[in-house]
Amino acid sequence: MQQAATPPPEAGDAPPKQVAQALERLGEAGRLIADVRLGADRLLEALFFVASEPHHQQSSRCLNLICKEETLMRQHLENLRTIGRQLEESGVLNDSLRSRSNSWGLHMPLVCPDGAVVAYAWKRQLAGQAGASAVDRTRSKRRFFPHLADDSTVESAAKKLCSSVPSNSQEELGDQRSVSDILSHLEKEIPNLKTFTYQRLDWFKRASALSSAANESSIELSKDHGFPSTTKLRQESASNHATDKAAVIELLLPSLFRAVISLHTAGSIDPDAVALFSPDEEHASMALQHFICVNPESALHSLLHWICSYRTLFTKVCSKCGKLLLMDKQSGLILPPVRRPFRNFSASNKTSAKNSSTESCSDLDLVLAFHISCFSDRA
Amino acid sequence: MPIKWILHWQPNAGATVNTQIHTELSQCAESLNGVKEGRWKATLSFYRAMVREQANANEFPRDFLGISLVEQPTKYYLVIRGQRLVVEAESSIQMIMEKLQSYKMRVALNFEGNQYQLGDFRLRVGKVVLAHSEGLRGIVMEMEYLPISSWEKSHQIMGEFFDLWQEALSKSSLPGHFVHIEPNFSEFGLSDQYTSQHTAVQYATIMAQMISTAQSVQRN
Repeated sequence: MQQAATPPPEAGDAPPKQVAQALERLGEAGRLIADVRLGADRLLEALFFVASEPHHQQSSRCLNLICKEETLMRQHLENLRTIGRQLEESGVLNDSLRSRSNSWGLHMPLVCPDGAVVAYAWKRQLAGQAGASAVDRTRSKRRFFPHLADDSTVESAAKKLCSSVPSNSQEELGDQRSVSDILSHLEKEIPNLKTFTYQRLDWFKRASALSSAANESSIELSKDHGFPSTTKLRQESASNHATDKAAVIELLLPSLFRAVISLHTAGSIDPDAVALFSPDEEHASMALQHFICVNPESALHSLLHWICSYRTLFTKVCSKCGKLLLMDKQSGLILPPVRRPFRNFSASNKTSAKNSSTESCSDLDLVLAFHISCFSDRA
Repeated sequence: MPIKWILHWQPNAGATVNTQIHTELSQCAESLNGVKEGRWKATLSFYRAMVREQANANEFPRDFLGISLVEQPTKYYLVIRGQRLVVEAESSIQMIMEKLQSYKMRVALNFEGNQYQLGDFRLRVGKVVLAHSEGLRGIVMEMEYLPISSWEKSHQIMGEFFDLWQEALSKSSLPGHFVHIEPNFSEFGLSDQYTSQHTAVQYATIMAQMISTAQSVQRN
């Protein structure tokens, strides 16, 4: 069990030390989140087991284990909260950032040059909602209490709950095993799309550069080449494409939007968090969790394609009301259709890859768009 | 930078513009959950060439405009609409022209009013007054959409917002309506990416209508 005992932050720390401290705490937070996930998995497996076989002789043991696991989980979440507070105190989570957006984030670019607000989904991760998403992961992973004899029952219960995985998508993705493969394919499919990858620390620099530039003239931002540090970062990211130590992917569709995806471990293709401009940040994160649940191996591929379906954000009318703009009742803002359904989303469009020059082909028409209230109102 | 539509108020035949209309427009922006952000001001000046010989006067453009915009405090924009010319200069050009006695300012107009934030949209409702004068000569509106900087890509969404705005206004039964004229930016050598020069050209384009409105106000 981890004890989060760190010295109080000093105001006079040089920036590199602060960065190192912040990164260390984030790493710790990441480990705690992994513990929370494992614990939640175990809890749910046990619950399913008990629910399906209430009179099994092992069930009382199961219940004891559930209680013990619950205590552990509480401790992990408490430690997470402590780390969150420390990050806030050390200024990594900043008041001015918080007031400008609806979420507290870590040196994230707040105002995209071509997207209203980027809301970072780190908030969700650090608040322990990773535990909630364990429900989905349970359905697709093998986790069980090793000392339970009848693990085959648990496995079949889990399989019953699993959503059907499209079997053809695996073959199509056969040649897209690494981040650079996926991104190169994506860039070929979607015209004007630019992708960048960064190692964790490079992203930190990039994000703070973007965030400080957002306060200056936005003319600088709208031309990417006008950015003094961009060229250098691009050269680094070009090599990142090859070495695949990428931890953060940035998607840019000029004049449309910028999205940021974090990968779980550097170099892997497991997406962990996503930041996409949106007045309700829930939607992108839910999409991410859904793709991970349905098929973890193609999650990044599906997520990137789903994000790119937003390239019609300012042109595709809402499939329910037929208009482009609508006053959203909850936020009181006039918005375009910012919801793209992800439940039956299929990124396997082989035909569209061949006809990438004619963007008006059917794959764009198939992805529907909705306003927030139209999305929740639809039958 | 974000794209912007400049609209001018066209009063109905026989009607005039007054401060009441301006107040109603501001209230309409607030009714769409607009958050008042402060005041804004722009200036537009008509210049006349100073020529020694009157005979040469016709060689010089009559519609030489100078525009200062609030978002570019250090710049001054010069437009000759007839020749499709727009230039971005330092604001010191005004002083230079004065010292050289090459061009003299004939008339200056001030646009001033309140600025409202409506989510990703920014509205500026402004009164048009002659410099050093009180009388209201017209009304302009700036309609800005922050997420998009491409003129082409923004067209559909701006059109819909304009319709939304007109619809909201129709409830107040005002004696007039806003008109949007779209200049041909490529004739001015401007690209699809929006800049303050596009704004200057839009202001220059609505001037003919603004002048006739101002004259009809003066007649009444």
